[in-house]
Amino acid sequence: MKKYITIFFILLFTQHVLAQKTDTLKKNTSIDSLMNAMGAGNHSEPVLGTFKASRLILSQTTETVKKNNLNFLIIHRFGDFSGTYGGGQSLGGLDAVADVYFDFEYGLNDHLNINFGRSTIGGLLDLGLKYTFIHQTTDDAIPLSMSAGGEIGIRPYGSFNSFDGRLSTLFKIIAARKFSPGFSLLISSTFLRNNSPLPTINGNNEQQFLSIAVATRFKITKHMGFIIDYAHPFTNAKQTSTFTLYDPLGFGIEIETGGHVFTLNITNSRGINDINYLSNTTSDYGKGQYRIGFTISRMFDFNRSKTNY
Amino acid sequence: MRFFYLFFSLILPFTNQDSGIFISKGAKITIFSSAPIEDIKAVSAQCISVYNSQTNELEFSVPIRSFQFDKALMQEHFNDDYMESEKYPKALFKGKIVEKINTKADNLYKVMVSGELTIHGVKNECKVPGTLNIKDGAINMMADFDVKCADYNIKIPQIAFYHIAESIKVKISANYQSINNKSK
Repeated sequence: MKKYITIFFILLFTQHVLAQKTDTLKKNTSIDSLMNAMGAGNHSEPVLGTFKASRLILSQTTETVKKNNLNFLIIHRFGDFSGTYGGGQSLGGLDAVADVYFDFEYGLNDHLNINFGRSTIGGLLDLGLKYTFIHQTTDDAIPLSMSAGGEIGIRPYGSFNSFDGRLSTLFKIIAARKFSPGFSLLISSTFLRNNSPLPTINGNNEQQFLSIAVATRFKITKHMGFIIDYAHPFTNAKQTSTFTLYDPLGFGIEIETGGHVFTLNITNSRGINDINYLSNTTSDYGKGQYRIGFTISRMFDFNRSKTNY
Repeated sequence: MRFFYLFFSLILPFTNQDSGIFISKGAKITIFSSAPIEDIKAVSAQCISVYNSQTNELEFSVPIRSFQFDKALMQEHFNDDYMESEKYPKALFKGKIVEKINTKADNLYKVMVSGELTIHGVKNECKVPGTLNIKDGAINMMADFDVKCADYNIKIPQIAFYHIAESIKVKISANYQSINNKSK
C-alpha cells in the first residue's frame, strides 16, 4: 500500500513538472519553428533558365521546349561581311544568303523534344530527338544539367549514288551549368557520321569524327546576354591539302522579349545545322569570311488551361 | 502497472490543454494581372500558414516556384526574370490580426491583418482586410489585396512582350485546423 501511495505522489509530481515543462515549451514554440517544421524551410528545386533558348549560335543547349509547346525558329546567316565577296558591294554580306534554317521543336514532355528542320545548305532535312536526363538543382545536390540527343539528316536526291549516301547521323551529349544568374557554361561532344564525306572534295574520305564544343552566356542586363560559341571537330579532313577547315566560332547578343528570343550574332560558320557546320566550315575570320546572323524564335503553347482560378 | 501510470502521466498534459494554434497546409494563393495581350494569372496551393489564436499572430509562407501558370514560358519568366526565385525562393507574411477572435464559437469576422510582407527580398509594412470564418473548430480565412511591383523592386522591362500591370491582384484562401484536432 505504501508503495502505491509513493507511486501516486511521484506521478502527481511528475505530472506537475511535465505540465510546467510544456508550458515553457509552448512559449518557446514560436510560430516560426512551427512553420519550419511544416516545411517552410528551404527545399531544392531544379534550376531554371540555364540558357534562354534551346539553341545558342551553333550549339544546342540543355533547355527543352516544355510539354505541348512548339518552338518555331528561323535562323539566318548572311554572306561574308568582308573579303572577296563582302564589303560595300554587298552591304557587308547582307545581299547574300549563306544559310537559312527553319526549325520546329516540339515538347513531347517537359524533358523530351522532337525537332524537324530544313537547311538551305545541301537542302538538308533533319529529324532529331533531345532528352534532358539530369537537371541541376538549386541546392547543388546535382551540380549540372545533361542532355543526350540524336539526329538523322537526309539530303535530297541528285548527285548521290544511293539512298545511304544521302544520310548523316549524329549523336551528342551536352552538359551545362548555371554558375550564377548571370553566367552559364556549356560543354558538349558530338559524334557525327556522314555517309558521303563532307565537304565533297576529291581526297576527302573522312566519314565519321568526334567534335567538342564550348559555349557560354554572360548576362548584360536581365533580358540581354552576350554569348560565345565555339566548336572543334577532330576530323582528319583538316589535313587534306586541297582545302582548309576552320573551327566554327560565334559571338552574339541574345535578347529576350517575352514570347520571343532574338539572337544577333557574328560567326565564320556558313552552316547552321550541326551536320553542316561541323564537317564543312571553310570560312576564315582572317580572310574576312565572317558573317552577320540572327535567330528569331517564337513559342506557341498548346496547353489547355490547367489551373482553376 | 507502474509504466501504465507513467504513460498516462506523460500523455495527459499534452492532450488536456488547448494550444490555440491553428495550421493550414496547402492554402491557395491566386495572382492576377491584366495585360493588353493576355491576362497573367497563376495559382499556388502550397502556401502554409500558422495562426496562434492566443497571441493573434498570423504567418504565411509560399514557395515562388509553386505558382502554376497556363504557359510554361510565362512561368519561367515569372521565376527567372521577375521574382528571381533562385535568390528569393519564398514570399512571407508575418503579422497579427487586429481584432480579438474567439475561436471557440462559430462566427464570421471581418478582420484587419497588419504586418510585414516580404516579396522578392523586400520587406514592407502592410494592412490587409479579410474575413475569418469559424465553423466547428476549423477556421477559413480569405483576403484580397493588391501588391505594387515597384514596392518590391520587381522591375518590368519596357521591352517585355506582355506588359504587366503595375499592381498584381492577390487572393488568399486558407483552411485551418487546430493542432489538437489534428492529433486526435
